[in-house]
Amino acid sequence: MRILFVNNDGGGFADYVTVTEGTTVEQFFTIKMEGRESSDYLIRVNRQPVPKEYVLQDGDRVTITPTKIEGARPVMV
Amino acid sequence: MRKENFMEKQKNIIRLSNLLLDSLDELKKAKSQQIQSMMEDFSIRCSNATKDSHLFRVAVEKGWLIGAENIRSRISRNINDFSYYLQTFKQLINADETSLPKLSDIYAELLQAEQEFGDIKFDLKEKTLSITTEPITLEDIPLGPFEVSLSIGRINNLYSDSPYRIIALEPNPASCNEEVTHPHVSDETLCEGEGHVPIRAALEQGRFCDFFTMIVNLLQTYNPSSPYVSLDDWSGICCYDCGSTVDNESVYSCYSCGNEFCECCTSYCHSCDETICLGCGTECPNCGELVCHKCLIECSECGSRLCRCCAEEGDLCSECRDIAENSEQQTKTNNEKENKNEEQIKCQNNAAVQPDGVGKTTIHA
Repeated sequence: MRILFVNNDGGGFADYVTVTEGTTVEQFFTIKMEGRESSDYLIRVNRQPVPKEYVLQDGDRVTITPTKIEGARPVMV
Repeated sequence: MRKENFMEKQKNIIRLSNLLLDSLDELKKAKSQQIQSMMEDFSIRCSNATKDSHLFRVAVEKGWLIGAENIRSRISRNINDFSYYLQTFKQLINADETSLPKLSDIYAELLQAEQEFGDIKFDLKEKTLSITTEPITLEDIPLGPFEVSLSIGRINNLYSDSPYRIIALEPNPASCNEEVTHPHVSDETLCEGEGHVPIRAALEQGRFCDFFTMIVNLLQTYNPSSPYVSLDDWSGICCYDCGSTVDNESVYSCYSCGNEFCECCTSYCHSCDETICLGCGTECPNCGELVCHKCLIECSECGSRLCRCCAEEGDLCSECRDIAENSEQQTKTNNEKENKNEEQIKCQNNAAVQPDGVGKTTIHA
């Protein structure tokens, strides 16, 4: 099945990805955001917060946004 | 009545969604125009290269070696610019084409933003869309709530300008710079750091809720390695000279101008021992020590200023004193010479010239 994955970490891309039936949000996060802590991210499915056991459905829209984004002063060249 | 209010609100959100969709359309047009302008520029560069190639061939055929060398060096310069230009052009033309979101997507984004941040403010006249953050506290320093105000009319300038402002509603700015209301906000502009690319991507794709979420998350995070003003220096007193922040106990007040300075920008008057800043101190031309303006007096000869300590040895600067001493020495030498001459003259006068034969004795044979 295909879901829309909006990843606001890094490049901020939005694309359709294929996941196997029965994948939970927690499993999806582990696959896509390898090595990251889920507590550092805001995860929304279809614009709503969901429990980590939520099983993804075909056509779902998953958004992952980091809760800590570091600002930085521009470098003068 | 409630139903009417609800309907009015829905109408406003739809109106706002339409405006946002138009601005995204403008942004897309702006990007296409940028590509068009780059393509035109590209074709001009190519045509210049063709001209240079022709000129070079003619120069070589006719044996004009100096001319050929000039053309070669011009081509060499242009090639460096050209490769950089080509890289930029490639990035622009190969960038993923963002399809415009549907009106219903933008509508859903606005409803989500309302759900996440409470009321969203929409100013039809100014064409701004704003949300307000919770009061933000970083490392125990309260910075108050901020308004994130997105100017819909400026979204099409996304690639050259920031279309949103961060307004401190209860400002607690850094003591050394009132424009800095947050370690990463100066003059209502947020320095996005690692958020730069995803924030722009969210705006391009019409994901307005994601846009606001990332801004809020950025405001709630402190990056100590690159702030406008470090939170360690947030409060305290700002050195009037170098601008660094110092705590109340490490600040020095200048006796002369009354401003406050850090230790590095302060010294003391070597004449009266009062604390002075480097701007109020002047080096005494005589002894080279730093003194305050009040402890400087004028050299009675040349008018240059010298410190009181040096003035105690006479009110002359070292140069004038040297001149005076030399002149005194010269006068003394001259006087001595004159006295010597006078004495010689006197001696000569005492041995008076006698008439011929005077003093001679006749010796009988």
